Amino acid sequence: MLLRLDNVQRHFGGVRAVDGVSLEVEKGSIQGLIGPNGAGKTTLVNVITGYVPAESGRAFIESDDLTGLPSHRIAALGIARTFQNIRLFKDLTALDNVIVGMHTRRADDTLAQLGTLPVFRRDQRTRLSEARQLMETVGLDPGAVAKRAAGTLPYGDQRRLEIARALALRPRLLILDEPAAGMNPSEKHGMRVLIERLNEQGLTILLIDHDMHLVMGVCKRVAVLNFGRKIADGTPAEVSTDASVIKAYLGTGGEREVASAPGAAGLNEVEEEVVKAAAEQTPTAAEPESAILEVRDLSVSYGAVNAVRGASLRVAEGEVVALIGANGAGKSTILNTLSGVIRPRSGTATFDGLDLTTANPSTIVRRGLVQVPEGREILARQTVLENLELATWGSRGDGAGTRARIEAVMKRFPILGERRAMKAATLSGGEQQMLALARGLLAKPRLLLLDEPSLGLAPQMVDEVFAAIEEIHREGTTILLVEQNALRALEIADRAYVIETGTILLTGSGDELLHNPAVRRAYLGG
Amino acid sequence: MDFLIQLFTDPYAFYNSHTLLIAQIGINSILAASMFAVLYSGQLSLAAPGFMAIGAYTAVLMSLYLHTPLALNFLAGTLFAGVTGLAVGLPVLRLRGVFLAIATIGFIEALRLGVILNFPIKVNGEPITGGGLGLKNPDADPLGGINMVLIALAVVIFLMWRLTKGRLGHAWSAIRQDELAALSQGINVARYKMFAFVLSALLAGFAGALETNLNFFVDPNEYGVPRTVQILTFAVLGGTGNIFGPVVGSLFLTSLPELARGAKDYRDILSGVILIAVIVFRPQGIVGRGGLAIIRPRWWPQRQSRAAAPG
Repeated sequence: MLLRLDNVQRHFGGVRAVDGVSLEVEKGSIQGLIGPNGAGKTTLVNVITGYVPAESGRAFIESDDLTGLPSHRIAALGIARTFQNIRLFKDLTALDNVIVGMHTRRADDTLAQLGTLPVFRRDQRTRLSEARQLMETVGLDPGAVAKRAAGTLPYGDQRRLEIARALALRPRLLILDEPAAGMNPSEKHGMRVLIERLNEQGLTILLIDHDMHLVMGVCKRVAVLNFGRKIADGTPAEVSTDASVIKAYLGTGGEREVASAPGAAGLNEVEEEVVKAAAEQTPTAAEPESAILEVRDLSVSYGAVNAVRGASLRVAEGEVVALIGANGAGKSTILNTLSGVIRPRSGTATFDGLDLTTANPSTIVRRGLVQVPEGREILARQTVLENLELATWGSRGDGAGTRARIEAVMKRFPILGERRAMKAATLSGGEQQMLALARGLLAKPRLLLLDEPSLGLAPQMVDEVFAAIEEIHREGTTILLVEQNALRALEIADRAYVIETGTILLTGSGDELLHNPAVRRAYLGG
Repeated sequence: MDFLIQLFTDPYAFYNSHTLLIAQIGINSILAASMFAVLYSGQLSLAAPGFMAIGAYTAVLMSLYLHTPLALNFLAGTLFAGVTGLAVGLPVLRLRGVFLAIATIGFIEALRLGVILNFPIKVNGEPITGGGLGLKNPDADPLGGINMVLIALAVVIFLMWRLTKGRLGHAWSAIRQDELAALSQGINVARYKMFAFVLSALLAGFAGALETNLNFFVDPNEYGVPRTVQILTFAVLGGTGNIFGPVVGSLFLTSLPELARGAKDYRDILSGVILIAVIVFRPQGIVGRGGLAIIRPRWWPQRQSRAAAPG
């Protein structure tokens, strides 16, 4: 075994981010580490690399004990990593980034620098040629990029450069934290080829990624985390058919049995063709003729990253429409574009005649399109009442009217009434979500955009939040719901769109999709 | 204008008539180099005037009471500042950004108000440091000191230039841009930051000691917050990409009042306008990325095009 974790634990406040995880990575293998958002994957990596000390448990790389060592010592022991959100030294040249990576195996030359000793010059030449070689290894052309500031390189090249920098450490173990995030299919394929080639050269790799095609494709073994615990560990085939893994990814369906989850039973027999046919079948729930929200060929980019590629969808008045798909598929980006926070690169989006691609966000809200953002975004240091009062800013001046409306939403969510004088930060996650919903309602929405309302909530709270959403819908508000908890979302949705890497994969009624194996593929790969 | 005309037409007379100004530019450049050492490693430390005061008072007091030679006084002042830097650095270097800045301002004010003005060792009932009245320094040699200042400046520039070129410089750059990523490459961030902080203290202490040779009087009010803001401005205005930025910054700022002399009563306003203009048009500093791009003529071969050329 190259890396061995033994019952590692780490809490943040009351959250058990890593709760007794044991893991073994075989020398020369590619080990996958997956899990839904907030499962504790990055925290586990931070524990291994020493950024966050573990509270208990031990970690070893071969015979070296990593427990309690500072990060730079752990790196020097041969554990290199890349970061989920690329962390290059942006103002240094690409070449210098790689040379910094050689820090631990480079003799201190501080005194030699004061005279220009020939020895030093020779070492410098060796380093330069090695750095160029490393850039070639990861598929960068040193002639073109070596002298450019790392921050000016295209996104895919930055990812590769970060790997070259990690390799400069000559690591025993390379940890890749979402190396394919934000890449298009051909870039992803290139990354997969690179990972496989590095592994063939004898490097052990711990791979974390949300792209299941990539993880299931290259890894010999995959471990799955959920709520800080390891819930499965095995070959990709074993893991992707494991009932608890499917439950962790697709969510729980209320009273519905996990066995009826898409593809949970007899999944091994589901052939590629069956899945394809299911994906291509004509949906019985046709898109509505008249729509209050109409999105056509929407494409959104963050710099070089194409988050949404030509997505089209419609929502009719009175519907509940769900937008489901894995992490990073582009769901939140679509919502943020609709509410005017992000501007699209191309495509159109209209809400009741209003052009959402150019309208001012405050106009959009006044016209009745209101977003309840992911992570709730409540004002933690204000009281519950102050949070609600701020949401009525649009109708300030009408004192009696707004007070009545605030009282009305407090009646709807009695828990908020009870806690009106408490600071929002002291509410539980579920109560905070209720507050965010209440705040959204105060803006008098005609169409409510809900972004991951059940994120990070305990199962019982998820039930309460979904009950509240159904009630809001019954009272006549149209809802566009983004959820990772796909089963739950499909249960209450009239129709749904499944989105994968920025494109709409398929659409249909909630019931249809509940039984469609392609949904599982979108989340877990195939 | 007279200032520039004389500089170019009769440099020798210029040197003789502006000796003190040139010496002050040298001192300020060393102070800017001290600021450069911490900024280059990503630390916003404003402690320089404190270390200057330690260097200055140590040198003058040794000269007054022990009658030791000048070189020894300077050496002692510099080293004492460095040792203090180590002691101050241990607790405050856990802080980052503006919090470090506030802690170091706390240090210089505590040193000035608490220690220098109320020094426990008394002579005739007055603190040995002279308290608020300051300290007379009859051994100063304002005109003779300039050679020493210029040699010292050359040594400091060479030292800092070379230090930023090797492994040490790479580690500092890495820490400045991303501490977490630097750790992931095996760089002992705490140790390299401490080294930069102590080096900065040594340089400031040295500049403080050198400066006493230009004045017959040590004024405790010189070592407060306004001075630290001035030193920070040298470095930021010049640019902190390499050591020449801070030196150019202090050259420019120290001679700015002379350059703007023609504006008479509006001199300070003109200086302020020029400062704002530089910051607006050269946010990366006068010697920013791409070297002295601001004064480089169009026909001058550019680095980028050479790098892109084949072969």
